[in-house]
Amino acid sequence: MSFFRITLVRSGIGLTKRTQGVLKALGLRHRMTTVFYPVTSEVAGQIMKVKELVEVQEVDKPLTRAELRAERRPDPGFYLERPAPR
Amino acid sequence: MDILCRKIPWRLSKFQKARQRKRLRAVDTVVATLDKALAKQSITTKAVERWKEEMPIEQEMVPKDKYTIFDRKEKKYRKSIRKLPKWTRVSQRVNPPGY
Repeated sequence: MSFFRITLVRSGIGLTKRTQGVLKALGLRHRMTTVFYPVTSEVAGQIMKVKELVEVQEVDKPLTRAELRAERRPDPGFYLERPAPR
Repeated sequence: MDILCRKIPWRLSKFQKARQRKRLRAVDTVVATLDKALAKQSITTKAVERWKEEMPIEQEMVPKDKYTIFDRKEKKYRKSIRKLPKWTRVSQRVNPPGY
């Protein structure tokens, strides 16, 4: 089961209600929101409506919100040898 | 004074042209990704099929079609694509044949 990873790269401000409705239906609230949907013809049609605003990748499994945030978190630059005694 | 303040050049600069090409290519990659993903599951969508039939990809387009659009009121029936509202977020690739 493969998924579409859809990221909103350009906003829908000033576009038609129909296009904005498609973005709302996909759950793309603001720029750089990422959503995952299974690969079906319905979702493909929705993406075709907003293809100028969106970046799409094909992935194997959908990530949760926590995993998405962890993706963006940079390397802390240190590691704990021994946790401090509390 | 308004006429002096609101002048914009007819032609796009080379940087604007580069960005326009980049945007066209981005849309092409989105459609290609969709097509590949659907083909793996052997489904087709009317929207994707129609786009592939009618719209050229960036490589196939003539520069005239990338940076200008048809307008029947202009002298040479072409005007700058910047004059199209939301031109950076709308797909405009095909013009009437011969113009």
